[in-house]
Amino acid sequence: MTAFAPIRTAIGSPRGGASAAVLVLVVTCALFAPLIAPYAYDIQNLPSANTQPGAAHWMGTDEFGRDLMSRIIYGARTSLTVAVTAISISVAAGLTLGAMAGYFGGWFDRAVTAVVDLTWSFPEILIALILIAIIGPGLESTMVAISIAYLAQFTRLTRAQIMALKNETYVEATTNLGAGHFHIIFRHLLPNALTPVIVAGMLATGDAIILEATLGFFGLGAQPPTPSWGAMMSSGTAQIFIAPWIIIFPGLAIAITVISINLFGDALIEALDIRNRLRSV
Amino acid sequence: MRFTTTTRLVASSMLVSASVFGLAIVANAQEATFVVSSQNVGTPSYNPINGTQLNDAITLIFDRMVIQDADQTFHGQLATEWESTADGMSWTFKLRPGVTFHDGEPFNADTITWWIPQFADTENAFMTDAIESVEVIDELTVRFAMKNPDPNLLSNMSSGFMSIPSPKAFDALGDDFGVTAAVGSGPFKLESFTVGQETVLTANEDYAWASDLSENQGAPHIKTLTFREISEDSTAFLELSTGGVDMLYSVPTDFLPRLEAEDTVQVGTMPGTGLFYIPINTTVEPFTDIKVREAAAFAINQQEILDNLYGGVGSVANTFLIDSLLAANVDPALKISYDPDRSNALLDEAGWPMGSDGVREKEGTKLQVALWTQNGTEFKRVTEVVQAQLKAVGIGADITVFDSATINDQYRKGTEHQLAVRSYSWANADIIDWFFSGQRLGYPNVSMWNDPTAEEMNVAAMSGSRTWEERVANFTTYHEYVLSQFVFAPIYQPVQIYAYSRDSISVPEVVRGTRLQSQTVVDITVN
Repeated sequence: MTAFAPIRTAIGSPRGGASAAVLVLVVTCALFAPLIAPYAYDIQNLPSANTQPGAAHWMGTDEFGRDLMSRIIYGARTSLTVAVTAISISVAAGLTLGAMAGYFGGWFDRAVTAVVDLTWSFPEILIALILIAIIGPGLESTMVAISIAYLAQFTRLTRAQIMALKNETYVEATTNLGAGHFHIIFRHLLPNALTPVIVAGMLATGDAIILEATLGFFGLGAQPPTPSWGAMMSSGTAQIFIAPWIIIFPGLAIAITVISINLFGDALIEALDIRNRLRSV
Repeated sequence: MRFTTTTRLVASSMLVSASVFGLAIVANAQEATFVVSSQNVGTPSYNPINGTQLNDAITLIFDRMVIQDADQTFHGQLATEWESTADGMSWTFKLRPGVTFHDGEPFNADTITWWIPQFADTENAFMTDAIESVEVIDELTVRFAMKNPDPNLLSNMSSGFMSIPSPKAFDALGDDFGVTAAVGSGPFKLESFTVGQETVLTANEDYAWASDLSENQGAPHIKTLTFREISEDSTAFLELSTGGVDMLYSVPTDFLPRLEAEDTVQVGTMPGTGLFYIPINTTVEPFTDIKVREAAAFAINQQEILDNLYGGVGSVANTFLIDSLLAANVDPALKISYDPDRSNALLDEAGWPMGSDGVREKEGTKLQVALWTQNGTEFKRVTEVVQAQLKAVGIGADITVFDSATINDQYRKGTEHQLAVRSYSWANADIIDWFFSGQRLGYPNVSMWNDPTAEEMNVAAMSGSRTWEERVANFTTYHEYVLSQFVFAPIYQPVQIYAYSRDSISVPEVVRGTRLQSQTVVDITVN
């Protein structure tokens, strides 16, 4: 079985296929925003502010007369960049910390577990808000805050996988052959523990998009005029009676993207048959 | 006639319900909830002497010596009569008899002798700087001996910052005065205050010293008055239209059509006393160069902001003062009005050629500056338009939004901000001293401007004028110099729009004074 076989199986299922199609569309928007967007995202045209959706502006304009569809297309770039970067950092750090804690045990394991359990007991949004209050608002801060907020989840998951794997006979055999700790961890244990962590990472990306939108809604994420779905919804609240489309379309973009990620993640879990391993955390 | 037990039970429960309902109506009839202007959200205290930011509820807790009507005339409140000698070096005030503070302490000449020296070494010291000493003539008469004539004395005394607190409570509470408790002699007593959330006031039933601007000379009709702080205009609007609150002190112009369409809402307007502007930090690069400051100032398209963000309601600002002040009549050549060609030429001249990405650069450094603003829909919207207008001449700006309660502390650091979008509300030319005096760098002098010529002009304007006319002339000169140095960019002069629920309260048709203050609020009745 190649690494892509489960992905093919997931895409083959109806919900996996539909959600994968939406995700490909969102990723295409993010990658090729300057080519796809009909207008620049930051050029204001105040006399056309709050224009209803129509032929010239399919999703209408915002309170500064900027084309909403162009901003949503560019906003996909912001949301995906932040979510994917933050979760990648989080997964990488979580894999390393979790593997070391699970493999070596002892005081290091106790220390890591204590910190992880402590952060695990707070909601991610609270941890992110505290971190942003310390390092200040902005796109980079949002990435750092989200990656730290989700670190506990991946550390915990990896640790559980490693704890289960390290007593396997092939590990014992490798040890007896004189392999070093790092060789065992990175060549034998982590590759076997990787799948559930990657899938959990994918599901967390959906949550990270919501977290990014929430921070953006509070004005703590991408700063104007950079479009972010959450910030667009925030400015839309002031116009809700005058131009409801400003809040509706970014809201739909967030909902559709997150639902698609979750559905695809579910399809992937089915294809890989790893639901029990994910539950073991 | 005989009644069954069931009939009796039904009848008696209806009676009980009716009385409870009636009581509830009576209780409601005495309560009202107002929403302070969104610009005043986060006001940290009700300490008039030390405070640098106050909301309009201050005039309900405290009384002032005199108050000013919309036509600029002065009316006695705690003072009944006053006169000044011809040379302006002495002022005599007769005080109102029978006034007591909320803690039962009497108001008399001793209160004034205690009160004036309290301003020394505070941010508000300029208000009483001209007073050398206070002499007690009798229990209800005081005389101010002046260091120099101050034609602005009555205007200062009508300001919320010269509200008179109870000396006993002020001394006892120290720094907590205005935060945990505030004791004045006004028509309402402070019941509770939570910064950024709400202020609850209860009627002062002993109140019998309203000014002649109010019809009601007794205790206020409203018995419990809550001031809520709501920074989001749409939330405040929703609260008014769903009956959660009874009155909004400020309404953004884009809500006007919707509010006017609501049957139960009455909208009123008053001449504005405020101005939106951009202070420019003169001590940090690139704004140490006056050409760059001038370019930034002329990049702001005031008319575009007025027409599109405010629907043409209000007026553009071209100077630092509201148009109704005489010192706003400056040399037309010094007025700052949108001129992008001038901005572009100045930036070229200053050595900042346009970069390929539309942002100018000099020796590898981008003309990218920090643009600060505070929470709230209006500030954020104006700031985003300003950002786009600066970009149009090649000045990139990064917006940072601060909480309104903490932004002034950020300004005090002095070196971290470059541009900001701010507003003030003040109907006196001495606002130039407040925001540009070299004595107040950081905040309120957000421009960090400390110029010897300006300081000389400041002294002449603030304390060197013997008559009102001389004061106007001195302030005009000072104002013109401030304009010539491009230490700020003017944006917009709002009108004051308020709205209330016709069903729940009745507000006098004509608002007395320049804002919704005690002289009007004591006349508001609950329907």
